[in-house]
Amino acid sequence: MMNKLLLGRFIPGDSLIHRLDPRNKLLLSFYYIGIIFLANNWLTYLVLFFFTLFAVYLSNIKMGFFIRGVRPLIWLILFTVLLQVFFTRGGTTYWSWGPIVLSQFGIVNGIYIFMRFVLIIFMSTLLTLTTPPLSLADAIEAILKPLRVVHFPVYEVALMLSIALRFVPTLMDETEKIMNAQRARGVDFGEGNLFQQMRSVVPLLIPLFVSSFNRAEDLATAMEARGYQGGEGRSKYRILTWQARDTWTVLVFGLLTGVLVWLRA
Amino acid sequence: MTHKNKAYRISILAMFIAIIIIQNFVPMFGYIPIGLLDLTTIHITVIIAAIILGPGDGALIGGAWGLITFIRAFTAPTSPLAPLVFTNPVVSIVPRILIGLVAGWLFIWLQRKMKRTPAMMLAALAGALINTILVLGLIYMFYRTPAVAQAYGTADVSRLGGLLLVVVGTNGIPEAILAAVVAPLICTPLMRFRKQR
Repeated sequence: MMNKLLLGRFIPGDSLIHRLDPRNKLLLSFYYIGIIFLANNWLTYLVLFFFTLFAVYLSNIKMGFFIRGVRPLIWLILFTVLLQVFFTRGGTTYWSWGPIVLSQFGIVNGIYIFMRFVLIIFMSTLLTLTTPPLSLADAIEAILKPLRVVHFPVYEVALMLSIALRFVPTLMDETEKIMNAQRARGVDFGEGNLFQQMRSVVPLLIPLFVSSFNRAEDLATAMEARGYQGGEGRSKYRILTWQARDTWTVLVFGLLTGVLVWLRA
Repeated sequence: MTHKNKAYRISILAMFIAIIIIQNFVPMFGYIPIGLLDLTTIHITVIIAAIILGPGDGALIGGAWGLITFIRAFTAPTSPLAPLVFTNPVVSIVPRILIGLVAGWLFIWLQRKMKRTPAMMLAALAGALINTILVLGLIYMFYRTPAVAQAYGTADVSRLGGLLLVVVGTNGIPEAILAAVVAPLICTPLMRFRKQR
């Protein structure tokens, strides 16, 4: 049950993708999701498809991990695709029944949407598989830094994020422990009708919250004892560096954008 | 005993965010699948944060949930409708921030007028309803503008709107009732626990 978790499942490695600056990787992943919407004909989708495959190849991570990322979502994707296929009109109509229409545009649209989903999932899986969560938190802090101009508490938010990410596995273990303890006392999780299912969350949440409050208090005490006084004026242990390969990947993405704009219909 | 210092506030908010993250990624804990849109129990965490920590922090936790919903709509959608509607940050983030604000403020305001348990119930009910109504309303609003509908490739806008109304309606009511029942159950022992420390 717990090993379904995709977030923070980081596979250590030393590939080109692993060594990229996390700031760069994070921004490029968002940028990639943006430029996927540029693609609107089969040639552009083909280019994106091979580009994604190449990135996966560069990461030296087995294809199986990516397929596993898509698998739990496959029904969702198919459902969305079918919705598109049967409710889009245009082009040659092959078959129709009431509001449901099977048309040329619908099928083409469905295939595009399917591709878009799979490519986005592959790219975001690539990001989480090659970047440790704490590096991602550092990257988010660096990216948010300009917001300090409008008095956004960047350091506090970044620290909050690092602590949250650090405690996800700890709290998860605890959740499992509490679940098993409650099971031993006769609580059924995931059984019965909807209200029974939702109500079974209560004996899970109360101990979880209580232990979170305890943990937060202990953590705060320990932080203060070590001289934490707020975010301003601190130095950093993990320092991110921008290297030549980061510039190169940005250039490659720029080239990709150019090709997409050139090829799109 | 009151905790006003910065380190405590940061760490307790971090714990709540961690719980939200866990609820998002452990199946059956945060989302209970019933059909088109899943029933969620995450709004309860946000409401509890709003009641215990205050409206501002509640809004922050709600915002964290909204942000996760937004990112997940692209990368790992929770339901078939998520990639259609929650890829819009206005639909995914704003309602979740408002859960925290509304539940927190309403609780503070109601606490002066009545006992604590009914105040919690009403605040939780309002928080849950605000979420549902806003998500519903915003989807309706955005789906009627042709630009967005075209970007998602939908043709039959009015039909989908009606469908959403039914689905969100059937989800919103159980979610609101659940929040109203559960919030006092969890908040009361937590408040007592916090006073003891």
